[in-house]
Amino acid sequence: MNKRIWLSVLMVLVLMFGLLAGCGSPAEEPAEEPTEEEPVEEPSEDEVVITVAAGAVGQELELTQMAAQMYMDDNPGVIVEVLDTPDLAQDRLGLYLQFFEAQSSEVDVYQIDVIWPGDLEEHFVDLYDYGADAVVGDHFPAIVENNTVEGRLVAIPWFTDAGLLYYRTDLLEKYEFDPPETWEELAQQAQTIQQGERDEGNQDFVGFVWQGDAYEGLTCNALEWIASNDGGTIISPDGLITINNDNAVEMIDMAATWVGTISPEGVTGMAEEDARAIWQGGNAAFMRNWPYAYSLGQEDDSAVKDRFDVSPLPAGANGEPAATLGGWQLAVSRYSENPEIAADVALFMASYDMQKMRAVDGSLNPTIMELYEDDDVLEAAPFFGSLYDVFTNAVARPSTASAPNYNAVSTAFFRAVHNVLNGNTDAATALEELELDLQDITGFDIE
Amino acid sequence: MKTNRKSDLAKREERTAYKLLLPALIILLLIAIYPLGQVFYTSFTDRQFASGQETEFIGFDNYRRLLSVTVQQLEPLVDEETNQIVIDEETAKVIYERPIDVLPREPIRYREYRQFNLMGNRYVLGATDVDFIDAIKNTLVFTVTSVFLELVLGLGIALVVNSNFKGKGVTRTAMLIPWAVITVVSARMWEWMLAPNRTGMFNMLLDRFGLTEGSIAFLASSSFQLPAMIAVDVWKTTPFMALLLLAGLQTIPDELYEAAAIDGAGPVKQFFSITFPLLKPAMAVALIFRTLDALRVFDVFQVLLGQSEYSMATYNYFQLIGNRNMGLASAIGVIIFIIIFGFAIIYIKSLGVEMDETS
Repeated sequence: MNKRIWLSVLMVLVLMFGLLAGCGSPAEEPAEEPTEEEPVEEPSEDEVVITVAAGAVGQELELTQMAAQMYMDDNPGVIVEVLDTPDLAQDRLGLYLQFFEAQSSEVDVYQIDVIWPGDLEEHFVDLYDYGADAVVGDHFPAIVENNTVEGRLVAIPWFTDAGLLYYRTDLLEKYEFDPPETWEELAQQAQTIQQGERDEGNQDFVGFVWQGDAYEGLTCNALEWIASNDGGTIISPDGLITINNDNAVEMIDMAATWVGTISPEGVTGMAEEDARAIWQGGNAAFMRNWPYAYSLGQEDDSAVKDRFDVSPLPAGANGEPAATLGGWQLAVSRYSENPEIAADVALFMASYDMQKMRAVDGSLNPTIMELYEDDDVLEAAPFFGSLYDVFTNAVARPSTASAPNYNAVSTAFFRAVHNVLNGNTDAATALEELELDLQDITGFDIE
Repeated sequence: MKTNRKSDLAKREERTAYKLLLPALIILLLIAIYPLGQVFYTSFTDRQFASGQETEFIGFDNYRRLLSVTVQQLEPLVDEETNQIVIDEETAKVIYERPIDVLPREPIRYREYRQFNLMGNRYVLGATDVDFIDAIKNTLVFTVTSVFLELVLGLGIALVVNSNFKGKGVTRTAMLIPWAVITVVSARMWEWMLAPNRTGMFNMLLDRFGLTEGSIAFLASSSFQLPAMIAVDVWKTTPFMALLLLAGLQTIPDELYEAAAIDGAGPVKQFFSITFPLLKPAMAVALIFRTLDALRVFDVFQVLLGQSEYSMATYNYFQLIGNRNMGLASAIGVIIFIIIFGFAIIYIKSLGVEMDETS
């Protein structure tokens, strides 16, 4: 009898170890894979390898690799490797945290989300120590302030983002609509166009696609709905929980009616690239997405080339249009073996010329103000000029107010909204619960 | 029981055996017991992942936060003017108090998990961590259903490929392909097949046969999520089950079947009197392996469902990586350990697996 128990303990131990090891290993794997553009030769002794962990949404990865190549051409002693990281923000965060927990020098430069500087600052160097003061004045002050923690510049702004409404100019003309200014108008137009296109034989046509999967992107989308209906920003900048109000309830309930009507059932499983796939195939009238989708939509293989435009997102009945502030920064790891060179790489990648290249080729919004007046940039992405106000007035997620608990706050929020979208509960109940959850997480007072 | 007196030779042999086992034991200590001990210890602290913040010992708080449940009675609402019980005009049902007003909030807040009726009264089941309770439920449903289906299908496949036919070597190899594909890769593949519009195979087929409009969100709507997970797992691990059972089938000597045939037993009788009893040990081993494996399912859930529905292991990952709650995540790890341990004991006892020849 005893031996049996011991044997089962042993088996469970071995299995558990497999589980623990399974959780730990993915961090190391991607680092081993060489990307195509890398030089094949092994680094010799006086060569320094700088690894940049970068995103791969749309054209991001190619653009970063091009910049890395340019840096290598100018600096023969340095090899810049680009590490491809997961698309979903919190998967990327998970990967980074494993590097930080191990204090690994594997990655020197990290591409970090606009919501992370507060949470992760202890792992990054102060870029003011490496010559950032010379360039910092060129960038949007609001983003620089976001990246500054207790006087330390933990990350240099790289590109900024704000939610935009993509609409099909040809279809709006066909059905005689102007770009929608309220969510209700959008829903009506989407319904009409969807019905019309389906009657004409395109069975897969949908009215409106957006990001409804249970992840950070849903927080961005839902924050836009709520903020555009004067429903606050979940937690106010001075630390009050404001989410449970009538305007927020109204908007989330409205969004739930879109699922299965103007948006496909599957929208509650969609991230940026899923929405773009439907849009770029010509199967949607409207899309909510970030600016990166613009230049991809204008490429030759796109079904919507020259047939779409962008506008600010619609407003709710009680408010003004709102766009969530997104965007990415470059930060240098404290555990890097060559912080000077790593900082130089980061500043080079965020420089005027590189941001210009990324704006022209990838429609990634520069963080350098002057670039919004640059002719080449405006020719490639005309909306940078016309929607300048959208980018400068974008609504920040409550990451500063709730640091270091932002991720928990955001997860509670998008799971609550996701539950309403899936029809498991109604917005009033969900937000009442959420308000108490947020109080548990942050300890803040309820407004 | 065996006798306690042993010969000198036996004693010497026993000592040699222990010496030979020593290296294996040391390695086990280093790679399994030490990290697990660490996890046990961390589960009693509030340690943060990837952070310089100081760690404090907080006793059983993590466990209390995860596992506390309560049952509260809901009183019917009473109209203050008429003193009568309020009844919904549309459905003609009694309206009860709202659980959010009834469930305790101190020292930890309870959230509504389910409501149920018992002996004419209405109750609410509250839990401090509804997501974790859900994760346990999901994992158990997933485990029981998928292992059962795998056993039935695996047994069928094993019986077929055990018979003599041309090309049985090729068939046996080909059958293992789904099992050989890396889970993350096969999960991605299924993600495409389960796509919520007609680009996905299942929606395309359903649409082609005119059963639906081709827009079922298999991975996003709550009623399809678990069945989809079970389907992926059954597809992937049935071959493994079949392989283990096939190995068991091949140990059964042909003479038994010949003798049974001479005695006039038909195929059904042969199956229940010879195959099934002789296959039981192999089946028990296969079941234990699969069950313990299914209980710690991580990859399919993580890739296909992410944050929208958890298994125990993905909830563990979320608490560790997403919320950086290393203490709480460790406590979840310990609870998973205990649940798996419980299953192992139940199996070994109830199936009477002979693990030790002398006992």
